[in-house]
Amino acid sequence: MSDTSSVSRPERGRGIGTLAELRSIVTLPVELGMRLFDPPMRWVQRMIGARRMAYVFLLPNFVFFGLFVFLPIGINIVFSVTGGTALFPSQRPYVGSDQFAYLFDCGSYLDPATCREDHFWRAVANTVKFVVLQVTAMVLLSLVTALVLNMRIRGRGFFRAVYFFPVLLSPVVVALIWKWILQRDGLLNAAITTLGGQKIIFFVDPSWAMFWAVFVSVWAHMGFYTLILLAGLQAIPADLYEAAEMDATPRWRVLTHITLPLLWPNMIVVIVLALIKGAQTFDEVFVLTGGGPGTATLMVVQYIYETGFSSQVQNFGLAAAASVVLGIVLFVLTLLQFAAARRKEI
Amino acid sequence: MAELKLTSARKSFGSIDVLHGIDLAVRDGEFVVFVGPSGCGKSTLLRLIAGLENVTSGEIHIDGERVTHLPASERGLAMVFQSYALYPHMSVRKNMGFALENMGLKPAEIEARVARAAAMLRLTDYLDRKPKALSGGQRQRVAIGRAIVRDPKIFLFDEPLSNLDAELRVATRKELASLHAGLGGTMIYVTHDQVEAMTLADRIVVLNAGRIEQVGTPLELYNRPANAFVAGFIGSPRMNFLPAVVVSDDGTLRLTVGEVEVALPRPASGLAAGASVTLGIRPEHIEIAPGDGMLAAKIDLLEQLGGETFVYATAPGLPQITLRQDGQSHFHRGDAVAIRFAPDHLHIFDAAGAALARP
Ligand SMILES: Nc1ncnc2c1ncn2[C@@H]1O[C@H](COP(=O)(O)OP(=O)(O)O)[C@@H](O)[C@H]1O
Ligand SMILES: [Mg+2]
Repeated sequence: MSDTSSVSRPERGRGIGTLAELRSIVTLPVELGMRLFDPPMRWVQRMIGARRMAYVFLLPNFVFFGLFVFLPIGINIVFSVTGGTALFPSQRPYVGSDQFAYLFDCGSYLDPATCREDHFWRAVANTVKFVVLQVTAMVLLSLVTALVLNMRIRGRGFFRAVYFFPVLLSPVVVALIWKWILQRDGLLNAAITTLGGQKIIFFVDPSWAMFWAVFVSVWAHMGFYTLILLAGLQAIPADLYEAAEMDATPRWRVLTHITLPLLWPNMIVVIVLALIKGAQTFDEVFVLTGGGPGTATLMVVQYIYETGFSSQVQNFGLAAAASVVLGIVLFVLTLLQFAAARRKEI
Repeated sequence: MAELKLTSARKSFGSIDVLHGIDLAVRDGEFVVFVGPSGCGKSTLLRLIAGLENVTSGEIHIDGERVTHLPASERGLAMVFQSYALYPHMSVRKNMGFALENMGLKPAEIEARVARAAAMLRLTDYLDRKPKALSGGQRQRVAIGRAIVRDPKIFLFDEPLSNLDAELRVATRKELASLHAGLGGTMIYVTHDQVEAMTLADRIVVLNAGRIEQVGTPLELYNRPANAFVAGFIGSPRMNFLPAVVVSDDGTLRLTVGEVEVALPRPASGLAAGASVTLGIRPEHIEIAPGDGMLAAKIDLLEQLGGETFVYATAPGLPQITLRQDGQSHFHRGDAVAIRFAPDHLHIFDAAGAALARP
């Protein structure tokens, strides 16, 4: 009895020992850091009390946040109500709401051509069109993909990884990959000509350009939304499906009366998140089409970027005003998302 | 209303055999309870009957029709799940009517059936609530109502009371019994609680490790357990099991129990001298004898419940013995007493645990 235990114990102990050693090597620097910070932190806590200590821990993050988020927002607002071409806010004359008035000076909002700043309104129209197409396609496709990946199929794990993979790529990389495929002498045209077809020069046709912008964007982001929906599907208790089976529920009624209603909170989150991301679209489309042909795929963020930084004019004020408008739209969408998320908790 | 027949039904999950060949016939209108320790395969057996799992081999017949490979939706059975499995996004009314909608019944008919079941289950005031706005007991009744409205061939219950508190469990148990009396349907009920089994069942099926140990009415199982497992499982507190050695078996069975020899007049059953047997005796069939008894014992502990008393005593060379006395006991811890077994209620199990025929 005692023999066997004295033999087996060190065996087990050694196994655990190596794991613990490994862990301690990894956590050593962290622990050293902690030791270093411990005395001064204790001193601070003695000085100000434990309750106020929380703010000390919040401070570093708050400083960064303030410096790189709130300060720029403030500067942006200052730029939007000042004019001229000077970079320093103190040298810029105050113009009130002039920038906004200029931006919104339109004969009819439905026709960008009647606007003084027609580029902005073309960008707005393009972005709306892009968002509607992209969000619709993405929600439907990721729903179908999630439903399929939730079934007991062979290689389910593999496909889940495959669909998620593009999410890990940088948007610029995504756009470049597809550009190589889609350009005049790209892979797709090579395939078409091999099959005896005529080359299509996609990026000179406004409809094709918009189609591919939407397509590439859906391809790049679908995995993320599929994942959210998949998580939602897996959170539906299996016994509900068994109850439905006992209730002799036809398959389509299981989908429409059980799966979709129970997935709805996740769907709302997906829709709103996709709207927010869609409205901010810039890099993928910019690299893919450059906003062209003409202004056919010019998005609001690209308009802001070009107005502020890349045109000869460098009209910071106007770009800032457009940013404020976009910011307000995004803010409203974010509130929507919070509301949706809260509804989900209940 | 229907009868059910299982023939050599086996179930394996991969290489693990969970059910080792179940033969069972359930009569029309019967209330049958599957009882057994946790993990013995009760739920699996119920799910085989329901069609939620497929048998590995064997046959299932309902009303003479072979349903072995019929999907659950086509067997016409209703199941009350342990978790209730109510549709969380539907009102009580919708939950109960959902299966009827699937059947394509007219809304008026659905409404009438739901109303009738709701009245029976005291749910009328809650029909428009969602499940999460109901108490545990109410949810439980909705789950039963969902089964009732369909007028199924057989009702299946998987531990329906295990999520209720003790008091509600007793109340719901009585309601279920009267529900069965009222509806008269065939019901199959799974539980690990032998009290539920005893109180509800027309017949009990005792399962252990994927096999049927015994099938019988509650009192048959109590009075004539086929083996030590059933004897130990049915009845509370548990039957006492005392190791004994056969001295002789020739019209009077003489046994050495602990340090004493006892003589039981009973027909010879061919036990060899020196064979090991187990003596089984229920706590309620042991009395403390004022004068001489079978065994001299010492009281370790008394549990006075007012209406009854449980006495725990030890005799030399034997495991602790549990006794039940009516009313309140005047004995104390440490008292030396003589205890006597009611000879008519003695069970004898052979080395393999099988009960010897009782006179
Ligand atoms: N889907 C399954 N896969 C593998 N093993 C299972 C599965 N379902 C049940 N089992 C096993 O079968 C045995 C019986 O389970 P179950 O019927 O749920 O027992 P009970 O309801 O009597 O507690 C258990 O050992 C359990 O682990
Ligand atoms: Mg079970």
